[in-house]
Amino acid sequence: MDVSQYLDIFLDETKEHLQNLSDQIMALEANPEDSNTINEIFRAAHTLKGMAGTMGYKRMQTLTHDMENVFSEVRSGKLKANSDMIDILFNCLDALDEYTQNIQNTADEGTNDNEPLIKRLNDLLKGQSQTAEKAEPAQAETEKADSSKKAENAAPENTASSATGEEKWYGIHLDSSQIHVIEEARKQNMECYGINVVVQDSCLLKAARAFLVFKAVEEKGEIIVSNPSAQDVEDERFDKDFTLLVLSKHPLEEVMKAAENVSEIANVTGGVLELEKTKDYKPTETPQAEGATQNAEPQTSQAPAAKNQEKTTDKKAAAGKPVVSRTVRVDIEKLDVLMNLVSELIIAKNSLVAATGQLRSSGENGVGEHIEYLERVTTSLHESVMKVRMVPIESVVNKFPRMIRDLSKKLNKNMELHMSGEETELDRTVVDEIGDPLMHLLRNSADHGLESAEVRAQRGKNPVGSIFLDAYQDGNNVVIEVRDDGNGIDIEAVKNKALERGTITPEQAAVMSDKDVINLLFLPSFSTAKQVTDVSGRGVGLDVVKSKIESLSGEVEVKSQLGQGSTWTIRLPLTLAIIQTLMVAVGGEKYAISLGSIQSLESIRPDEVKHVQNKEVINLRGSVLPLIRMEEVLDVESTRKPGDDLTVVIVKKGDKMAGLVIDELLGQLEIVIKPLGKYIKQCKFISGATILGDGEVALILDANALI
Amino acid sequence: MDINSLKNNADQKKESVGTSQYIVVTLGKEQYGIDIRFIDNIVRMQRITRVPKMPPYLVGIINLRGEVLPVVSLRLKMGLEKDVYEKATRIIILKTEQEGNMGVIVDEVKEVVTLEETQVDSVDDLRIEGKNYVCNVGKRENGDLISILDLSMITLEDSAG
Repeated sequence: MDVSQYLDIFLDETKEHLQNLSDQIMALEANPEDSNTINEIFRAAHTLKGMAGTMGYKRMQTLTHDMENVFSEVRSGKLKANSDMIDILFNCLDALDEYTQNIQNTADEGTNDNEPLIKRLNDLLKGQSQTAEKAEPAQAETEKADSSKKAENAAPENTASSATGEEKWYGIHLDSSQIHVIEEARKQNMECYGINVVVQDSCLLKAARAFLVFKAVEEKGEIIVSNPSAQDVEDERFDKDFTLLVLSKHPLEEVMKAAENVSEIANVTGGVLELEKTKDYKPTETPQAEGATQNAEPQTSQAPAAKNQEKTTDKKAAAGKPVVSRTVRVDIEKLDVLMNLVSELIIAKNSLVAATGQLRSSGENGVGEHIEYLERVTTSLHESVMKVRMVPIESVVNKFPRMIRDLSKKLNKNMELHMSGEETELDRTVVDEIGDPLMHLLRNSADHGLESAEVRAQRGKNPVGSIFLDAYQDGNNVVIEVRDDGNGIDIEAVKNKALERGTITPEQAAVMSDKDVINLLFLPSFSTAKQVTDVSGRGVGLDVVKSKIESLSGEVEVKSQLGQGSTWTIRLPLTLAIIQTLMVAVGGEKYAISLGSIQSLESIRPDEVKHVQNKEVINLRGSVLPLIRMEEVLDVESTRKPGDDLTVVIVKKGDKMAGLVIDELLGQLEIVIKPLGKYIKQCKFISGATILGDGEVALILDANALI
Repeated sequence: MDINSLKNNADQKKESVGTSQYIVVTLGKEQYGIDIRFIDNIVRMQRITRVPKMPPYLVGIINLRGEVLPVVSLRLKMGLEKDVYEKATRIIILKTEQEGNMGVIVDEVKEVVTLEETQVDSVDDLRIEGKNYVCNVGKRENGDLISILDLSMITLEDSAG
């Protein structure tokens, strides 16, 4: 069976439904009586079940089916949601997630039946039947049972009425050319069959099923007419059955078998088409044909009724459902292409700006205005495209409440996660990457940060620990803070640990500032947890966090107060592809420095340069900064004459600063970052290249790597 | 030189099994052949931006229609004298599988030749000491010999630098 073309949609939707379920189950735990939440859960589970069934993932279907049973009981009020049940449900979600992962990787759901889970679900149901009175069956349950029964009954019902359905193909209007085709085919020993296919009521992807039927039948013969038309069927504009006229050399049974083999097909009827009958049928309605239409009527009238029913339940559901934002799924690659085009446009604009610089001086002024207009348009176009690529960090952080809940159980600490700013938007590529670092930080706070309940009580703190996740935009950056009201970082403990491990010498330890000590935490394989737990403590957390954030051109900082808690601050650029830079010249070569890392520009007299430990430093308004002569770093001859004032770009990285000595300032420019390609092994302080207005390539200096 | 017409030619000729086309370039006095299947484009010499801390043969990067590509000096890579950029100097853009496209600088692009399989000999028999950038030798009808460059050796990172 070929459903691969629907696999992507299936995966996307499944993930959405799983996330939705997870959110709603969390909500259910907080508020077990809320009928809206329960309805939402029930619907999501039901949809999941249907989709899994359609795609032929039986195990997934079974599990969701049993979950649905539990939800159904909760909905009818026979079963109360309690912590135990929520635990089991979350376990089920994990299992479903595993199935989804398997499907994504191998297009197969795997072989894990998850029997223990199913058993526990059934135990839940049984426990309910002992306590609740069976006598009063809830409306919801019967309704559901009815509808599922109907689906199951659909097949036999239709076989019973097959005598009526059989004639349906005589209702198809044939024009003379089609009749001619049939007659010709007959001469070539082919037979024309009429086939009526009825799709099951419960089928969710009717069009997909129909498509499969078409494909299967086409292997056996040629479909000459379809009613409704193939296009309508493909767009799902049919109720639940469709009729085909097929030319084939194979016997009728074989063709019907092909159609029947497609799953979720309730019934297939067929017969040899007698042309005479169709001809009779067209001009005057013969009794026979009339009978056929009449007989067909109950069936069709039944169908709209069922449809109406469906619609009303749909409407009921819709009323309770919050408004979903209108979105379009776009392949990220298409966006990348769009982005590249905008980048090209910006380069073209820059070259026009450069060209008009000459024109202006020669007095031609009209062009300048238009160029400025173009500049405004490209800038807004760029911003819009950027916005399209921006997604709320919600998609990453919404799994954290669940994680904290699990951690709370596992670590036996009471804790709450407070989140704000989930709507803060970041470039898609960044959002995809920050999940792991954030998770590490949260786990870290939960495990190392928060004290046990007893200690908290002793210290007079709220026994329930709080972890905060706050996100907000700050200029061209997005800041994400992970804060806890726990113990904070014990500087002495970290120091001792570092000494013990030989990471630092006692002499170093004596002169280290608290900040330096905290930074030790970011070294690979450094963990202060006394015990290695499976939550954290393997020492692979914080250095991974740091390197990940830095690979996204961001930075991470820690502030901590012993006994009060700590705050981890992640600062990320809004976007990675286009940045504002300062263009500078060193030894006749042009380089770009990101404005984000520039603190100020200074002109320094040569005699202001002092030497400390044989290194050049300057005293800038009270703070002593190292000087880095760029011509030495870049291996070029400076164009500066000895005795000239030094042009210094003051760059900062976190709290550290340094002065880069350059030859000349060329001005500010918005540039598009281009990768250097794999062949050129990234030079540490070159973060990429860009194409200037005149087509020349300039390198981008990574100030962070120079400090 | 119009690369498109060259390519079209190549496509047509590909039909006849057993022949391949080579672009003949000069480096100093010697003639070298580059298999046309690996060539994306041939462009005139243009401004090359130097990248610091790179081996000398890696001359820098250029802008090819909005894409940044590395450029390698074939002369320096093969231990010949430094390039002198002249009017005939060209950058040949090679398609490589692992590294993406890259450019190599040659003194001049002369012509395209079609060689049959029988006209191409492997140089394995005349094993030369040290690094070997030539994989085959082509014999033309007029008796000229063309050293066919082993592109995998050129795109290979030079550890000695």
